[in-house]
Amino acid sequence: MTVFPPPLGPPRRLVRSLVIAACLLPLGAAAAEPIVETFQRDIQPVLKKYCYDCHGDGIDKGGVTLDAFKDAAALRDHPLWLRVLKNVRSGIMPPAEENHPLPPADAEKISAWIKRQAFGLDPTKPDPGRITVRRLNRTEYRNTIRDLVGVDFDAEHALAADDIGYGFDTIGDLLTLSPMRMEKFLEAAQAIVAKGVPTDSRALTEQIAVGQDFLTADGTKNGEPMSFYQERRVAHRFRASAAGDYRVVLTAMVDGRTNPDPGRCKITVTSDGREFFSQEYAWHDCQFYFDERVLRWEPGEHEIAFHLQPLEPPNRQRDKMDYKILTVRVLGPLDRQDWLPPTNYARFFPRDRPPVEPAARRAYAREVLSTFATKAYRRPVGAATLDRLVALAESIYQTPDTTFEVGLGRAFVAILASPRFLFRVEEAEPAAPGEPFAHVDNYALASRLSYFLWSTLPDDELLRHAAAGTLRPHLRAQVRRMLADPKSAALVENFTGQWLQSRELGHLSLDRPLILAREGITLPPPSRRNPVRTEVTAEQRAAMQREAEAYFAHVVREDRSVLELIDSDYAFLNATLAAYYGLPAETAPGAEFRRVALPADDPRGGGVLTMAATLAVTSNPTRTSPVKRGKWILENILGAPAPPPPPDIPSLEDTEKKISGRTPTQREVLALHREAPLCASCHARMDPLGLALENFNALGLHRTQEFGQPIDAAGELFTGESFKNIRDLKRILVTGHREEIYRTLTEKLLIYALGRGLEYYDVPTVDAIVARLAAHEGKFSELLLGVIESAPFQQRRAAADSPSPSLPPSVSPSLPPSVSPSLTAAPPAPAPR
Amino acid sequence: MKLPSHRPAAAPLDRRRFLRNLGVCVALPALESFLPRRLLAATATGAPLAATTATGAPLRTAFIYFPNGAIPGAWWPTGEGTSFELNRTMRPLAKVRDQLQILGGLTANSAVGGVDGGGDHARANGVFLTGVRIKKTGGTDFQAGVSADQIMAQQIGLLTPFRSLELSCDAVQNAGTCDTGYSCVYQHNLSWSSPTAPMTPEVNPRLLFERLFGAGPRGERQQNLLLRQQQQRSILDFVLADSRDLQGIVSGRDRAKLDEYFTSVRDIEQRIQRAEQSRVGRAQPDADAPAGIPAGVTDYVRLMYDMLHLAFQTDSTRVATFMLAGDGSDRTFPDLGIADGHHFLTHHNNKADYIEKVTQIDTWYTTQLAYFLEKMAQTKDVDGHSLLHNSQIVYGSGNADGNRHTHENLPVLLAGGGGGTLRPGRYTQHAKVPVTNLYLSMMDRIGGGRALDRFGDSTGRLAHV
Repeated sequence: MTVFPPPLGPPRRLVRSLVIAACLLPLGAAAAEPIVETFQRDIQPVLKKYCYDCHGDGIDKGGVTLDAFKDAAALRDHPLWLRVLKNVRSGIMPPAEENHPLPPADAEKISAWIKRQAFGLDPTKPDPGRITVRRLNRTEYRNTIRDLVGVDFDAEHALAADDIGYGFDTIGDLLTLSPMRMEKFLEAAQAIVAKGVPTDSRALTEQIAVGQDFLTADGTKNGEPMSFYQERRVAHRFRASAAGDYRVVLTAMVDGRTNPDPGRCKITVTSDGREFFSQEYAWHDCQFYFDERVLRWEPGEHEIAFHLQPLEPPNRQRDKMDYKILTVRVLGPLDRQDWLPPTNYARFFPRDRPPVEPAARRAYAREVLSTFATKAYRRPVGAATLDRLVALAESIYQTPDTTFEVGLGRAFVAILASPRFLFRVEEAEPAAPGEPFAHVDNYALASRLSYFLWSTLPDDELLRHAAAGTLRPHLRAQVRRMLADPKSAALVENFTGQWLQSRELGHLSLDRPLILAREGITLPPPSRRNPVRTEVTAEQRAAMQREAEAYFAHVVREDRSVLELIDSDYAFLNATLAAYYGLPAETAPGAEFRRVALPADDPRGGGVLTMAATLAVTSNPTRTSPVKRGKWILENILGAPAPPPPPDIPSLEDTEKKISGRTPTQREVLALHREAPLCASCHARMDPLGLALENFNALGLHRTQEFGQPIDAAGELFTGESFKNIRDLKRILVTGHREEIYRTLTEKLLIYALGRGLEYYDVPTVDAIVARLAAHEGKFSELLLGVIESAPFQQRRAAADSPSPSLPPSVSPSLPPSVSPSLTAAPPAPAPR
Repeated sequence: MKLPSHRPAAAPLDRRRFLRNLGVCVALPALESFLPRRLLAATATGAPLAATTATGAPLRTAFIYFPNGAIPGAWWPTGEGTSFELNRTMRPLAKVRDQLQILGGLTANSAVGGVDGGGDHARANGVFLTGVRIKKTGGTDFQAGVSADQIMAQQIGLLTPFRSLELSCDAVQNAGTCDTGYSCVYQHNLSWSSPTAPMTPEVNPRLLFERLFGAGPRGERQQNLLLRQQQQRSILDFVLADSRDLQGIVSGRDRAKLDEYFTSVRDIEQRIQRAEQSRVGRAQPDADAPAGIPAGVTDYVRLMYDMLHLAFQTDSTRVATFMLAGDGSDRTFPDLGIADGHHFLTHHNNKADYIEKVTQIDTWYTTQLAYFLEKMAQTKDVDGHSLLHNSQIVYGSGNADGNRHTHENLPVLLAGGGGGTLRPGRYTQHAKVPVTNLYLSMMDRIGGGRALDRFGDSTGRLAHV
C-alpha cells in the first residue's frame, strides 16, 4: 500500500492525509499508473495547501470534492477537472478573500497535469474533434446564392430562423432540416432560378431610366420633378446595339395640389434633337400618363431629351405644380434577329447558343451542369450525379415549346435543393496507417476558409488551388488575400453581431422617456413644429450596430492587438452616432464611419464595453441592469460565466421600505444581494462589474446621477483589484487579465469557425493559440491564423464517429449525466454556506 | 366502440354545399357526397374512422402555448364542477364558458430542475408536449422527445393535405444564449417529430396561407400551387437519389443529419402525391392572403389565429400547435402601456404593481384565445355542429408560477367538445396528475392506430374528461 508520508503539521492534516491515502486504491503488486503516481506526488500537495479546506476532508463546497478518488478511472473525471482548470485559470479559485492565492508555478503544474494525465491528451497530437455536417445557415445561403447565381435573395424572410447554440448560428448540430425548412429551401431554389437564370439564349433588351437619371446640361437638376412654371431641358443617353426599331415607353405624372392651378406647360420629347412626341398638360392633382413611340436608330448612343416650356407666366403660380418623368423604357432592337443574349447569360452558358443536334446538346448540357454543380457543391461532381442531372434537364427541354435553357434551369433547381448544396459535406485525405486523425481534403479546407472568412462559397481562385493541391502551401497568402477582399466584411458582421449580441438591436425594446426620466429628464412631447421622435430610431440602432462592426473591422484590417477591443484611446463614429452620443457635429461628419481619437479624460474610453450597442443590449427596456452587464462581462470577456441562480430564490423585501423617502439607486438595491450569503457568492463576482458601467444608462448615454443621487462606479474585481470607474476597470482587464481575454476570444472565434461547442480535448488547441497571442502582443492575425492552422480546423478524426481516442472506457461522473462536459458550460450553482 | 349509424341525424351534406355555407370559394372537378362515402367505408370495416367524430365530421386537435405561466390568484376559478365562476384572467372567455374544461392539478414533472439546476424556461417549453427530460446542453447532442401532436400526426396525418401544422408568433429570435445551459432550440420549438428533429414553426401568416392554398391572386392560387408542386415533383427524384448516395459515404451523426433531409423530402413528396391522387380538389378560401407580419402584436396574434381557423375549416390538417411565444418570452406590450418585458415582470417577488401588469398580460392572451374560440364556435361544420364542438384544444403553459418556476398545478384548459366525447363546462381538480395523461386521453379520441400505453411521463389516462 502506497502511503503518502504525512507532512509535519497539525494533527488534523496527518489524519487527513492518512484518510486520503486509504482512499486511494492500491494496485497491489502491479505498478501504480502514472496518473495516480503523478497525482499523489505533484498535485495533491498543492491541493492540500490551497483547496482542501473547502473541497476535501468531507467538505464539498459547491459540490466539489478533490480528495475522494477511488482509482485511476475515477481520477479521469473530465467534467470535474475542466471546471477546476477554468476556475483556477480565471482566478475565481482560490477565492480572493481567502487571501491565499495560488502561485503561478503551482497553477501551471495543475494545468499541465490535468491536460496530460486527467484528460490524457498528447500535446503533439491535438484532437480535432468531431463536427456534425453543417447545413448552410440563412446568411451563408444568401451569400452563396449571391455569388453563385447573381441574385440577391431575401433569405431572412423566405427561410425560417436558424437555431442558435453556444451563442452562434453556425453550429452543425443545431442547423436542423425539418420538413417545413426543406419546403422553404425548395421554393427558394425555384424562385432563385426563375429570377436569375435566363430562359432563352436571346432576349429583347430593355433599358430603363428613371426621372432622376434625366439631367440638365450642368447636371444640377433632374426630371423628377419639374415645375410647370420653369423652363427646363433634361436628357439621358441610351445605347442601340444594332440598327433597327426601338420602342420607347414613357411613363410620367402630373402632380398638383388639391385645388386647381392655372399652370399649363408643353412637353416636347426628342431623340437626338428630333421631336417624336409632344403634349400639353394642365393641372391635375395626380394623374399618370403612358405613351409609346417606335424609333428607328443606328447603332451607338442616342440622347432622349425632355423639354418643358411653361405656357403660363410664373406670377400665376398658386402652389406646387409639377411634371414628373417616372420611367423611360427603351426596348430593342425589336427585330428578333437582332436580339442579344440576356444579361447573366454568359454566367451559366459559355456558348452563344446551344447546339441543335441532340447528342451535342446533351454534351453541352453536361458541360454546363458540371461547371455549375462543381461551384455549387464546392467540389468535383461524380459521374453518376451528372448523368442524373443531364437526364433531368433533357426530360424538360425535350418537351415541345421548351427551351434548352429552361431545361437546364430545372436541373439548376435540383442542384440547389440537393443535400450536397445545402450541407457542407467534407471529405478527408487518407490518414497515415494507425493515425487517428486525418487532414480534411483541399476542397473541404477551401470551404472552411471561405465560410469562415466570407460566409460564402469558395471563389474560383480557391477552387483552383484546391484542384491543384496548392492550397495548404499557400495558406497564409490566401488568408491575406481573403481578408483584403470586401467579402471579409461578413466575418466582421456575423462574428461581432453574435459575440456582442448586437444583432438584437433591431428589435430591442427601449423606452427612451422612462429611461431618461430616471435622470430627471422629461422629453418634450413631439409637435408639428418639432417632430422629435421619442423612440430610438431604426437609423440610430443601425448606427450602433455598425459602430461595433467598424471598430472590429479596424482591428482586423490594421492587425491591432485584440486587447484594443477591450480598451483603447479611439472610437469609430459617424454623424448619426455622434449626434446620438451628444458629441459636436464636427467630431465625425458624414455617413461613413471614421476613426476618432478620444481625449484622455473621456469618461467612456474605447472598446466594446462602453459602446452604446453593448450597453443597450445588456439593459432592461426601462433601466440598466448591472447584473446583466456584469454577467455579460464575465461570459464574453473574462470567460468566467456565472453559475445559474439557485432554484429557490427567496423574495427580496421591498427595498423601498429600507431606504426611506426616495427611490433607491441600483447599487443600493443590489447591495441586498450581497447581504444574503446564498446570493453573495456569485453576485459578488457579477455586480461590481455591472455597477462600474452605471454611468451609462440603458440607451448607452453618459450620466452622473440617477434619481438625484450621484452615481458611484467604484468597485472590486473578484480577483481583488479595486477600481474607481470603468476606465480603471478596463485598464486592469487589459494589463492584469490578458490571458483570460485572449482565451475567451479564442474560444468564441473557434466555436464560430468550427461550428461546434468546445470540449475538454480542445484545451491544448486553445492554449496554443493563447500562447501565440501572448507572444505577439495580442495581434489579431495571430488569433486568426491560430484558428485556421489549428488541428480542429485542419483535420478531423479518421473514423467519422469515433470518440476521442484518449477517452477511457468508463468515467465516473461527479456531474449528472444530462450535463455535457464542455468548456463553455457554466459550473452548477454553489451549495449554500 | 360506437359504430356510426347508417343514417346520420343531419342530412348528408354534399361537399360543395358545405363549403359554400362556410363561405369558401370552390374549385372542384366533381360533385362529391361527403358523409355517406366515409360512413360506408366505416361500416364495411367495422372500425371507427380515425380523427372523425360520430357524426362524420373531422376531429381537430390543437395545442396552444402561452409563456411564463399565469398569476394563479387571477387564473383559477372559484367553485367547482359545473358551478364555477370564471376569475379575472378568464373572464374574456365568458361567451364560450360552456365549452371549457379548466383542469387543476396537472404537472410537468420532467420540467422540474433537480440535479440539472437552472433552465426552467427551456424545460417548460421543451417538456410541455414531450413529457421527457430534455437534455441540458448548449448545443451538442441536444435531445428532447417526440411530442404529442406528432404522435397524432403519425397516426392520422395521411388523412389531410398537411400532416400537421406548427405556428408561432416568435418572429424574432435572440442572438447569443437562451436559458442557462440550454440551447435556444428548446425555446423556439414546441413540436418535435423525433427526439432530435424539432418541427420548425411558421411565423409569417402570408407564407402560411401560401403554403396551404398557393400564392398569387385568388383566381390563380390553385393553379400556381399545382404548378409549383409539379415542378417540385420533377426534381425530388434527383435529390432523393443524391441523398441516398451521400448516406453511403457518411456515418454516425452526419448520417442522422442527412436522415433529417431524406425524411423531410419524402414528407414533401408524399404530400404532393396525396394532392395529386385526391379526387376532391383543395378547398380554396374566399379570403385574400395576408400581407405579412402585422406591426401590432394583437393584430399579429389574431391573424395567426385566423390562419389556424382557416386551416381547420378547410380540413387542411387535423393536428396543430401554436406557440404564442416561447417560454421565457420577454415581450413588451406598449399597447397595454407595459414597457417592461413579460419574463422580467413575472419575477415579481410579490411586488403588487408587477403582479398587476402580469395579470394584464395573462388577460390579454386569453382575450385573443376568446377571439379564436368564439370564431370556432360560430363556424358550422359538415355535420351541423360547430367547429369548436368538433375540436379538442389545449391552452396552457409549462410554467405554473413564473415567479418561482414551478411546474405543478399548471394553468391548462381544454376547450371544445371533442366531437361529443368531452364533457366541457366544468372546473375539475386532479391530484398531481401528469399533463401527459391528458394527451393520452386525447390520443384515444383520435384513434387511428394502436393505443399507446404511455406517453412521456404519463401514469395513465386522465379521468373524467
